[in-house]
Amino acid sequence: MNLIKRLGLTAVGALIAATTVSAAWAESAADRAVKEAQKYKGQTITIVWEAGLQSLDPLNFSGPLWEKLTGMKVKVVEVQTAEMFTKIMQEYRAGTGAYDALNVMPSWMPDLANAGALEPLDAYVDKYGYKDEFQKIAPIYRDNWAKANGKIYGLPDDGDVFIMYFRKDIFEDPKIKDAFKAKTGHDLSVPKTWKEFGETGSALTEILKPQNVYGAAFFRQPPYTMFMFQERFRNEGGKFFDAETMKATINSDIGVKVLTDMRNENKFMPPGVEQWGFVENLAAFMAGQTAMTISWPPYGRWAAGYGTDDKALNWVPKSTVGGKVGYALPPGGHPELAAGFDLSIASTSKNKDAAYLFIQWLNSEDISLQRVKLPTTLRDPFRDSHYTDAGYLALWPDAKDYLKTLKDASLAGIFDLSVLQTDKYEEVLRQAIGKLWAGEDPKAILDAAAGEWDGITKKIGVDKQKAVYADWASKSGAYPK
Amino acid sequence: MTSASPFVLSVIARHPSGRMPDHNFRYWIIAPSVFLLLLIGLFPLIYSLVVSFQQITMTDYDTSFAGLTNYAQLFDDARLWQSIAHTLIITIIALPVELVFGLAMAHLFLERMPGRQIFISLIVLPTVISPVVAGATWRLLFDQRYGPINQVIGWFAGHEVVMLWNITPHLVYPAILICEIWQWTPFMFLILLAALSNVDKSLTEAAELDGAGFWRIFFKIVLPAIWPVMAIAILIRGVDLFRIFDVIWALTSGGPGTMTETISIYTYVQGFQQFESSYTAAIAFLIVGLMSVIVIWAIRRMGLAK
Amino acid sequence: MGYSTDGTCEMTNFSLAATRRWKLACRYGLASLLLVFFVFPIYWLFIISFKTPDEIFHFPPVWYPKSFQFANYAVLFKDGDAVSVLNSLILAGVSTVIAMIFGTMCAYSLVRFKTGGEDFAVWVISQRLMPPIAIIFPIFLLYVYLGWVDSYGGLIILYTAFNLPYVIWMMRGYIEDIPLELEESALVDGCSRWAVLWKVVFPMARTGLFATAVFTFVFAWNEFIFALVLTRTEVVTYTVQVTHYFGGQSNFWAKIAAMSALGTVPVFITVSLLQRFLVRGISMGAVKG
Repeated sequence: MNLIKRLGLTAVGALIAATTVSAAWAESAADRAVKEAQKYKGQTITIVWEAGLQSLDPLNFSGPLWEKLTGMKVKVVEVQTAEMFTKIMQEYRAGTGAYDALNVMPSWMPDLANAGALEPLDAYVDKYGYKDEFQKIAPIYRDNWAKANGKIYGLPDDGDVFIMYFRKDIFEDPKIKDAFKAKTGHDLSVPKTWKEFGETGSALTEILKPQNVYGAAFFRQPPYTMFMFQERFRNEGGKFFDAETMKATINSDIGVKVLTDMRNENKFMPPGVEQWGFVENLAAFMAGQTAMTISWPPYGRWAAGYGTDDKALNWVPKSTVGGKVGYALPPGGHPELAAGFDLSIASTSKNKDAAYLFIQWLNSEDISLQRVKLPTTLRDPFRDSHYTDAGYLALWPDAKDYLKTLKDASLAGIFDLSVLQTDKYEEVLRQAIGKLWAGEDPKAILDAAAGEWDGITKKIGVDKQKAVYADWASKSGAYPK
Repeated sequence: MTSASPFVLSVIARHPSGRMPDHNFRYWIIAPSVFLLLLIGLFPLIYSLVVSFQQITMTDYDTSFAGLTNYAQLFDDARLWQSIAHTLIITIIALPVELVFGLAMAHLFLERMPGRQIFISLIVLPTVISPVVAGATWRLLFDQRYGPINQVIGWFAGHEVVMLWNITPHLVYPAILICEIWQWTPFMFLILLAALSNVDKSLTEAAELDGAGFWRIFFKIVLPAIWPVMAIAILIRGVDLFRIFDVIWALTSGGPGTMTETISIYTYVQGFQQFESSYTAAIAFLIVGLMSVIVIWAIRRMGLAK
Repeated sequence: MGYSTDGTCEMTNFSLAATRRWKLACRYGLASLLLVFFVFPIYWLFIISFKTPDEIFHFPPVWYPKSFQFANYAVLFKDGDAVSVLNSLILAGVSTVIAMIFGTMCAYSLVRFKTGGEDFAVWVISQRLMPPIAIIFPIFLLYVYLGWVDSYGGLIILYTAFNLPYVIWMMRGYIEDIPLELEESALVDGCSRWAVLWKVVFPMARTGLFATAVFTFVFAWNEFIFALVLTRTEVVTYTVQVTHYFGGQSNFWAKIAAMSALGTVPVFITVSLLQRFLVRGISMGAVKG
């Protein structure tokens, strides 16, 4: 009895001690960053950010707020997406120290990290007590986007993922459902496999022809389709490389099937869909001309009319489908976490601590929640707390379905191939898509592409690349489980 | 063209006091130009040359001397030679078209007519637009859905046409050529207009009175008179066509595949996207070498440096 | 045209006038066709800046907006993007003036004195042969070393240097056209070499100067790649600013169009103003006399 009592007291004591300790750390990461940043009052740090809509965040919201709280000035260097990698590398090679903090796409991380352009962040995470909040980033992003060679090089800051958007009103319309049943013999439902998608899309296009509405459309331009290929290929069971020999296996039957299917699908999509980019696809969906599409999260917000009244978004066509949009995982069930952004520190920066405090603050629970809710934001939810936030849920009636879908996507998602000189491999894929739309034979296209991939791997060094690929493939989001 | 020596002698003869014409004058007036050209031209050239003998890539900052490996690689690179072929195709088609078109336009506007100034100012506008924007604008014009061109073709054809100008293999080159010719013919036009307006009217009028027809006068009197300027315009435009980049990048990004990839686009991809610094330097010197040969041949042939 | 196709003097005054009127009508007709071809795409681009987003992404395409929106232009000024046009103006303007002066002087030397012979002439033109991609990085390094990155002076020097070969070669052609006797008579009259250059050569080469200056300005104005690499935040030019509107997840067509319109206006004004120098005027008489 005495023993148990003593054990009990020890346990209680330990509990109290632990609570006291954690109470000291209960100050949020954001507050901590602000506190530590006071000693850098008056300094200026530069951050590289994607030009256009993305950079409105640091220019109009986070930059001025940070300056108010800490006295540290933030200079935003806007760079067009296509130039970001180049500019970062050039500044690094020249060693100018012109950039302090960076926005980096996760697929660039191995290259930048191996070239030495990024500063490892583990020490800073410990020093400024960020471990807790870092852990609360949704696992799919946290475990796949943040590290290279076992070290943290970036803080995931944007929950990019491909979501399927569909017209609830069309899928629930009794007349259309009957026509569909009569035509195909199945019930009309949101497709869960690509085979179903092909069927559903073509049938809908025929049924809705009198109204000039198409079953579906995608952004078929090569850069975007390249991501969709990575997604579909893996959903259908394909693997990029043979893990032992590092030979490219994109030209397997699965790859050929994916390309062939994609081309066949174009037939029931609006003519000229091969030219469509992000905005053309958005415009068509917003005008109500397509019943299904796949894209990044912003579509969902804008289709609901959230934020589109803001002047900065006046280029977005007005939504005519507000309240009629449903959200689902793309066919296959494992959406691609396409592109995305991490916050990193340049290794040549002269203000590393100051810059780190800024990005910790940006990425923290409190501030990131505010940022993903900005009407003009392109930053999508990426923390567990984002998916359940009451404020977000209240933004529009269907927001709860939207956030649930995003959360499901984060649980099942797969992320971009990320090895040494990823862009070279991606370029081959982009060109393959271009050739596909030009009418060449899918098998021939993929054989040529695989050959080029092998050439690239050989030039980099098979063993070197094998190790990096193995590191990538071991991550939770590399291949669907 | 008179030669210099008799001229100088005659000037000396006119200044018996022995005050020689400032011999150094000719050097003083080229000095600022030479200085600037050396400043910007010399260092990059040497640097690139050195880098082309090294092995610098994106991740490997290997500055060890690698001999001619990069240059040797050039010969195996099929994509490189294809890009040169693509560039030549565009140059060989666009240059004569721009020349003839520009010449014809210059003739049209040579004589006074009311409102000529407005016409000329407006027609020159395409050259003034940033090439990046020009390419993007034509991309929009050629768009299947949002562009007026297919719409207008549809009116003539009687039904909606589907022509994917920047994707379909047999349409990409016409699209690029149309955009390029649209943008740079006004350049030739303006230069030739200036040259034509300098032609001595007394000569042409005399020939007319003698009963010579239009073409005869053109080939025997006008052409030789404007040749110095025209030849240089051809040279400059030819060199610029060889380096064409923005328009194609905006329209097709070198696609489909690498079908419209020109040498500048290939160099860009290697240098900027893939950071193959050393290999890119080698490519650059190959281009400079090739172009120097062509340019020197052209200069000799056109008698520009006589 | 300077010369006509029929040489007979037997036509009556009436039919001569009719022929002339018919020819003029033809000229206007052709000129108008040309105008449509060259200006329509620009019209299309500029009109986008006045459309609403729904009109921009409307199918079928909208040829004329229902009403003119000036909001896009207002946004450019409010956000400070319009400053980039001013930057381009400064860079292109100053570099053009300097390049024209230095370049014409150099061209004169090449033509009248054959300075440096053919080799020098070829070396000058070869400066234009190197693809910018290849030398951009060494120039970037040089500029970092000199502290010229993101500065007006640095870019002006660069643009001047890059336009010199064009100016030199074009002015060579135009100077060759100037009759030697004019300069000789000026020298006889006691003018120094410098005076001959300024008082005789420059005025006589007016037409060539104008045509060359216009395009030198345009080349500097449209220059993109060096402005992209060598500027960060201070000296953003209009060409770089426009590309900020081409995004992966957003194509601000309205801003692209409005910015392009703003960027075209200065050049259009310049070309219009310098129009009158295009045609050679009075000085022919001086030679024949």
